[in-house]
Amino acid sequence: MAGLSLEHIGKTYPNGYEGVKDFNLEIADKEFIIFVGPSGCGKSTTLRMVAGLEDITSGTLKIDGRVVNDVEPKDRDIAMVFQNYALYPHMTVYENMAFPMRLRKAPQEEIDKMVHEAARILDLEKLLDRKPSALSGGQRQRVAMGRAIARQPKVFLMDEPLSNLDAKLRVQMRAEISKLHDRLGATIIYVTHDQTEAMTLGTRIVVMKDGVMQQVDTPAKLYAEPCNLFVAGFIGSPQMNFIDATVGEAAGKVTLTFGKNTITVPDSKAAALKAYKGKVVVLGIRPEDVIEEHEYAEGKTLTETIDANVTVYELLGSEAMIYGDVDGGSISAHISATNPVRTGSRIKVAFDADKIHVFDKQTELAIVH
Amino acid sequence: MASTATKVGSGRNKTFIAILIPVLVLFIAFNTFPLVTGFFYSFTDSKGYGAFNLVGFQNYLDLFTDTRVLNSYLFTFKVAVVATVLTNVISLMLAIGLSSKIRFKSALRGVYFVPRILGGLVVGYVFSYFFTYIVPALTGTESILASPDWAWVAIVVVLVWQACAQTTIIYITGLSSVPEDVYEAGSLDGAVGWDKFRYITLPLIMPSVTTNMVLVMKDMLMVFDQIVAMTSGGPAQSTESISYLIYNNGLSGGQFGFQCANAVIFFILIAVVSILQTKFLNSKEEQL
Repeated sequence: MAGLSLEHIGKTYPNGYEGVKDFNLEIADKEFIIFVGPSGCGKSTTLRMVAGLEDITSGTLKIDGRVVNDVEPKDRDIAMVFQNYALYPHMTVYENMAFPMRLRKAPQEEIDKMVHEAARILDLEKLLDRKPSALSGGQRQRVAMGRAIARQPKVFLMDEPLSNLDAKLRVQMRAEISKLHDRLGATIIYVTHDQTEAMTLGTRIVVMKDGVMQQVDTPAKLYAEPCNLFVAGFIGSPQMNFIDATVGEAAGKVTLTFGKNTITVPDSKAAALKAYKGKVVVLGIRPEDVIEEHEYAEGKTLTETIDANVTVYELLGSEAMIYGDVDGGSISAHISATNPVRTGSRIKVAFDADKIHVFDKQTELAIVH
Repeated sequence: MASTATKVGSGRNKTFIAILIPVLVLFIAFNTFPLVTGFFYSFTDSKGYGAFNLVGFQNYLDLFTDTRVLNSYLFTFKVAVVATVLTNVISLMLAIGLSSKIRFKSALRGVYFVPRILGGLVVGYVFSYFFTYIVPALTGTESILASPDWAWVAIVVVLVWQACAQTTIIYITGLSSVPEDVYEAGSLDGAVGWDKFRYITLPLIMPSVTTNMVLVMKDMLMVFDQIVAMTSGGPAQSTESISYLIYNNGLSGGQFGFQCANAVIFFILIAVVSILQTKFLNSKEEQL
């Protein structure tokens, strides 16, 4: 296993389009790194540059300290799991997994041992004689994994490996991959557009947009302290509420006003906002931090309530989501399934002021979390 | 309910019959009828005109002792095997080239397809000129069309040149059906260069190989136009193909009945060769 170093990596296509811009990342040995972002953000391109399937236009890529910019894919000692699995259709499961080692002229005994070991881990032993066409999507996916782990590469690259599976299987395989990472102690780079996959699998997540790295952090940090509006909106489902608000002051406290509603900013966050007095900023608050009247802990009084009109009610099972209009914007909130609020209800909500995020309207950067 | 269904059914049947009958009549008139009459004449001593007698299997027995017929079979199979192999090897190389990232790919593909749209006779006459005047002028040697030992090579060259067009297109289609990510997986696994071709490309385009082998072999066995245009079976009957012999001696050589028997045998032979080829190559094909 090995660490990777991506220094000022850039990708410019012949037509001048910049797919990836100045990408810098140090990946430690055994890390599980996730590249996440919307389609076309450059995450797959970056992964493919690491694999050697795309040329690197600028910058330096090192695997285990060795510069590999001009090293052939086969000599980088990496394995990749493709979105469409890319199994060899004419080979059995066994041959698929043995193929990379065969080409490296590994002794038959060793190949046999490695393939069976990988098959055991992924529960593929009974399928070794089958061709990919005789396998289900989930089984093919496991074979693709098996082909990657059997040869014991330095780095695993996974390009949206679960996106072709149905929802249930995806959750199952997600857990399998997580276990696999613990078990193999492998360095993994994993590309996905699914923020749930990103949050649950990664030791660190790289959020990308338009070829530019936005933020690199642990899942918890990324969720709690998104560096800008894009990250705040991308990570978390349903996404964070954003409301334009004006910074003001009342009774010596910093306030945020939208429509006829005013929120008092806690002292811990007030200092950073002083400079924005009189200006419009973006107030961000996650749906779970918007508290509906019925959800208030007993005996607790509502302060600074906001009137809302529920326009959509979605029951999710154990809980429900409500979407509504407030004066000066719209909000979504988590409520319990037993809550009597329904579409059309006129309700009162309060924001958990300790959990608010404030972003600069122009630069979109976070001012305070 | 049932009556409605019948009504709709009979209406549709009328349409089907209206479409089917003319085609069936044409097919029987120009294909089945000649086939059956040809089969009948193969048991006669017909010259193609006048009276004739039934001779039983005599024509078939004579076929196996007629050296001219045997030589035409030897020549045809020699040309067919060599030309089929060459056509497929060259076409596959061309197809790989035309499938790679090169400039003017579409234009080049168009150019390489041109021989397909030219008639066999036209191509034959052009090459006849080429071999009779241009090649000797450049090399200072005699035309190979005049050599009983080498004239067949000229025939092979023309056949391959013309057959490559369609064969290449089929290979290009086959190559484009191999998923790009399988090649990418291969490049990470170490399958590059010859290994890539041997372990990934070739097994995955086997269906195209089967199609091409059978089609080209069949076409080559029936070689006719090019012979007419280039050698008329000469020199010294050294380039007399089976089709040419059937045509020449059957229609203008007074051997109508005899050559009908030859045609029947030839028909069976081509069918057997095609079936054997398909069987053998299918066993090499992968169920994708």
